[in-house]
Amino acid sequence: MDRTRLVEQLERICGAGGVFHEPSDLLVYEYDGSVEGAVDIQMPVAVALPTSTEQVAAIVRLAHAAGVPVTARGAGTGLSGGAVAQAGGIVVAMTRMTRVIEIDRTDRTALVEPGVVNLELSETTGPLGYFFAPDPSSQRACTIGGNVAENSGGPHCLKYGVTTNHILGLEVVLPDGSVVWTGERVAGAPGYDLTGAMVGSEGMLGIVTKALVRLTPNPEATLVQLAAFRDIESASQATSRIIAAGILPAALEMMDNLTIQAVEPAYHAGYPMDAGAVLLIETDGLTEEVDAIGDEITEICRQHAASEVRSATEQAERDLLWKGRKMALAAMGRLSPNYYLHDTVVPRSKLPATLARVEQISADHRLPIANVFHAGDGNLHPLMLFDRRKPGDVERVLEASKEIITYCVEVGGALSGEHGIGTEKRDYMTLVYTGEDLAAMAGLKNAFDPASRFNPGKVFPKGYMCGEVRALRAQAMAQKYGIHPI
Amino acid sequence: MAFTPSSPLTVDGVPVADVVAPESAEHAAALLREAADRGHGVVPTGRGTQLALGNPPRRADLAVSTANLGGILDYEPTDLVLSVGAGARLGDVQAVLGEHGQWLPIDPPGGDDATIGGLIATALTGPRRLASGSLRDLLIGITVAHATGTVSKAGGMVVKNVSGFDMPRLYHGSLGTLGVVVSANFKVLPRSRAERTVVSRHPDLHGALAAAERMRESRVPATGLEVATDGTGARAAVRIEARDSTLPPLVTETERLCGGDQETLATEASRAWWAAEAEPFRLSGAGDDVIVRCTARPRDAAEMVRSVLSALGPLEVEVRRLAASPAVGEATLRLALAGGSSAALAAVQAALLGVARHVTILAAPAAAKADIDVWGPLPEGHAVMASLKAQFDPDNVLNPGRFAGRL
Repeated sequence: MDRTRLVEQLERICGAGGVFHEPSDLLVYEYDGSVEGAVDIQMPVAVALPTSTEQVAAIVRLAHAAGVPVTARGAGTGLSGGAVAQAGGIVVAMTRMTRVIEIDRTDRTALVEPGVVNLELSETTGPLGYFFAPDPSSQRACTIGGNVAENSGGPHCLKYGVTTNHILGLEVVLPDGSVVWTGERVAGAPGYDLTGAMVGSEGMLGIVTKALVRLTPNPEATLVQLAAFRDIESASQATSRIIAAGILPAALEMMDNLTIQAVEPAYHAGYPMDAGAVLLIETDGLTEEVDAIGDEITEICRQHAASEVRSATEQAERDLLWKGRKMALAAMGRLSPNYYLHDTVVPRSKLPATLARVEQISADHRLPIANVFHAGDGNLHPLMLFDRRKPGDVERVLEASKEIITYCVEVGGALSGEHGIGTEKRDYMTLVYTGEDLAAMAGLKNAFDPASRFNPGKVFPKGYMCGEVRALRAQAMAQKYGIHPI
Repeated sequence: MAFTPSSPLTVDGVPVADVVAPESAEHAAALLREAADRGHGVVPTGRGTQLALGNPPRRADLAVSTANLGGILDYEPTDLVLSVGAGARLGDVQAVLGEHGQWLPIDPPGGDDATIGGLIATALTGPRRLASGSLRDLLIGITVAHATGTVSKAGGMVVKNVSGFDMPRLYHGSLGTLGVVVSANFKVLPRSRAERTVVSRHPDLHGALAAAERMRESRVPATGLEVATDGTGARAAVRIEARDSTLPPLVTETERLCGGDQETLATEASRAWWAAEAEPFRLSGAGDDVIVRCTARPRDAAEMVRSVLSALGPLEVEVRRLAASPAVGEATLRLALAGGSSAALAAVQAALLGVARHVTILAAPAAAKADIDVWGPLPEGHAVMASLKAQFDPDNVLNPGRFAGRL
């Protein structure tokens, strides 16, 4: 099917205003929030903006008939290239499916369309006494559909869990254009956990058209504490002690000195400029509990030579302390024209060693690296500061990234804690997974999308075509047992 | 030391000719591959405490036991992560975690005697689901032996991980039909040192359900909220876990809201009470009785609980026990089935499907299961589920016919 005919058909489904096909309109859809250089950009043939499940299904059937790839897209805030149409084809942008269909206070659920913005959902349910717990830092812009695709985290997933812990069921358009509900608003649905398989599948298994999400009751009391330490080492030790004491804070974030240098002059959050590291610790729950835990945390921080521990219970004070953390990325512009934000995870006990290694890599490559991250769950976010205009800068960033990832994997960590693999890290997958591990993932892909039509080119290392699972398995077995099946 | 579980083993009346306990993941995979080549059916088994769950196997030539795949592989208390062999008994795992004030917050009936692999396979839960979810929410990594003769792992030993598809959740609750779990990694949680349970007795189910409803709307964060009856009267039980200093006001509030005749149990008594409460629902203790789980939306749960009893009224069954977690939308019944015929069980299933959204027969005499799918009607998404089965177990080696839709 030629381009003109494809656009014509799409317009028949979504209306003329629901399809972009002029190159000037498509420009914005050729990339997402990822750093160019780490992720390739690619222009789709057309962008469709459906307003209903039926339209999504019709688009997918059209693509199926035309043999064209389909890439679903939310707000495009992803950081691993997940929403880039790597193989061209149709981008299905879900940003016009923005209805909150139902909020059920008894069930503590919300039924929403995928284009609903994360923070707007919590703002809608807040006055009723509930919030949607996953809170990625892009929450002002990112969509629930995107959160599902990436299994998004955020500072508060230390206590509340990541997106998959908050999704009860999904309406999904499958690659053949059929529509199914996975899971239900009812526990005990029989069969395989298709909801669990869908969450975090980076748009490669199905397109979410409705999500039934869990709502969490607003906590009665919230306490935010800021503790300043001499160095990262003592802040890390205090973190481990807090967790070991049986305390599960709602969030436990760390910022190093370089981050403080960027943030404090810009936002005046009150972070001590001379601190080697600060911890931002949020505790929530019943009023009595929060008070007691807050005292315990203060005591632990003091034992680890915190020079200062400040506590804030009032909303305005709490917001100010959080402001520095939430605006940290924006503040980096004060230090450098570009940054590359990394996302890896290590066991919590490996944090001090890992941060020391990051510092060494920073020195080796003459590349300033700021650290602002989720210390409570070992989720690192090294921020590499560079200048794209300087020859060699991008290459040095990529080289340093590789060294950081390799180290994190060596100490038992993971490639990504909350940003996903996409194209950014697909070629690192073999660092942690064997051919057999990847073959199992390919089995899941094949069960949903045997023709590899949804978001091709993601997650699997280049050259690992999903259509070749049998070959992969044979290869894995050959390596393992010297068996060569025909 | 190699250990071979005692033969003969029967699964739903089907005798299993042979039981083998592999000593490694690779050994398990090779056994499965061999079974596939011979066209055999394999029943994965741990300590056998949950084998009642599922349809009768189409064939069962071999049981692959995880008896030699137990033990704690890695445990970092400060990282709150655990890696454990599939054959490890939950109770043993909890004892090790308990030394550090930590645990896996799950409590399916009889769960302490079950293995980690078995608990992943069945996905059964207990009253604690209300506050802590299930193993699904704790699972961070897994190693599986496949019927194609390969071993795969997914996830890892960190609590946040989006490196590739979320395979652990696919295997959770799949009744061993996609592969045999060899080991699994979990995030573990600190365990509350103190707990209280307020048990209130009410003249009828209405009173107990109303108490549960008031509790759910209150500020008290219950970690167990159960309504139960054995035919005479009914009771509501509320478990509260907190620091010693914060318990008293929460208990007072609970006592005020529950009404009825009350008894408040302190930590040890509370723990013993919930263990005893679960006892009738232990699958391995069902004998000739039927254990069945009904679920509904939480908003419809109270109505479901009331309707369940009237729906069963006209049938020749005796409800020995009913326990429900209305806030989760779940009710479990233990029934004595007159005659134990398949027609009688089919009638029970049909009657319950009229008042509940899903009905799962968790345990029943083998003969009674002959004509029904214990999982109920075909689940939505069945076509995708069948494709998954075909991808992971193309020769239908693993628990053939035992899962939903007879996969």
